[in-house]
Amino acid sequence: MMVKCVIWDLDNTLLSGVYLESPQQPPGADPAMLTVAAQLRDRGIIHAVATRNPSEAAHHAAQVTGLEFAATECGWGRKSDAVRRIVEDLGLAADAVAFVDDDLYERAEVSFAVPEALVLSPEDMADAVGWPEFSPAVVTAEARRRGEMYAERRRRQEEARVFGGSRDAFLVYCGTQVVIGPATAADVPRLHELSVRTHQFNTTGEAVSEAEVMAWIASAEHQVTAVRLADRFGDDGLVGGCAVAFGGLSPGGSGGVVPPRQAPGEDGTATVTLLMMSCRAMGRGVIEALLAWLARSARQAGATTLVVPCLISPRNVPLRLALAASGFRAAEGSSPGEASVLFFRPLSGPLPDLPSWVADTVAAG
Amino acid sequence: MTGGPPELTDALREILAQVTGRPELRGLGGEVPLFGPGVGLDSLTGTLLLREVHRRFGVDVAAEDLNLDALASLATLAGFISARQLT
Repeated sequence: MMVKCVIWDLDNTLLSGVYLESPQQPPGADPAMLTVAAQLRDRGIIHAVATRNPSEAAHHAAQVTGLEFAATECGWGRKSDAVRRIVEDLGLAADAVAFVDDDLYERAEVSFAVPEALVLSPEDMADAVGWPEFSPAVVTAEARRRGEMYAERRRRQEEARVFGGSRDAFLVYCGTQVVIGPATAADVPRLHELSVRTHQFNTTGEAVSEAEVMAWIASAEHQVTAVRLADRFGDDGLVGGCAVAFGGLSPGGSGGVVPPRQAPGEDGTATVTLLMMSCRAMGRGVIEALLAWLARSARQAGATTLVVPCLISPRNVPLRLALAASGFRAAEGSSPGEASVLFFRPLSGPLPDLPSWVADTVAAG
Repeated sequence: MTGGPPELTDALREILAQVTGRPELRGLGGEVPLFGPGVGLDSLTGTLLLREVHRRFGVDVAAEDLNLDALASLATLAGFISARQLT
């Protein structure tokens, strides 16, 4: 399992001393750990802090290391509880985090209570840059900015807490901009990465190679779409994508006419063969906007039914919620015990409007 | 599906107000649709609601209810939970 987040202890781990022992001149960054942390950041791995120090220590550590912490847990609780809260707050799986602490007792406690986490001493960590768990195959522009994006997310959430209005009013207040447009060759590495990294919003749960994504973009039977998200807190870049097949048509047979890219199948269905979205976009209206856009563009292309084959897993319940909220129903007779279920949405009758902050560059272009 | 006991509906209403950060939902009627305009339950608030329901009442709605029909309203959710707590 790839590590997505390293959770650091501070005293004698990320800092070269004990914070509270020298309040006038708190310790600087541990040079060896800082080198490792900066390298991992450049590979798209994010950092967080779990310390028994007061919260000023985390601010100090951010200053002396120059790292953006995606989450900080400060106080006297158990370290394993801090690790669990960080995992939940960041929407990660427990096996996608590493915990680094110089204290043998703390490491044992976290190992016991969170057995999925990779628990390391600072000495182990010095070597870890070479380990496969810390070596993603592709490092996209989005990955390099991941730490900053989590910090932006924290600032956005802090404002959301004090904002009085509805979620939609908050999205407008944030200057949310979603751009939905045709995927290009430049988007291929990030679309591949999303297929590997997304779980909560992923209809297939299968990694799609760059070659496969490229083949879909080039093929006449698929429409591949990329979704970008930004607001005044920051630019999240390419956060989602989907591929639609207009089923039932064979690719330009012998002497036949090559079907236009956006023609519906003979049975009137458009099938979403893959839908995926970063969990960073969660709660920001993006998945709902994409589902509304899919329904509208499929109807525009002449389809009468939109079909989403969807893996049934405890991990992608957020996606099923979005499907339910967007008017999709499982095929008659399906059961939750099945590995994958077809969800249908008829395209007759009223379709949801696109929010004002969604730009549809497919329709425009 | 019949509604559950009123105190269960009240508890769910309180959870909904908390996970959405909207105190005004403490006055929400039991039959009001949770999806769509009004309450606007989405993937984030829905996930938080289901997680809290699982934790507090031991009922994993998503594992049993493919279309999440239990989330139609507070009354249907209370009915779904109480039917499973009895068995």
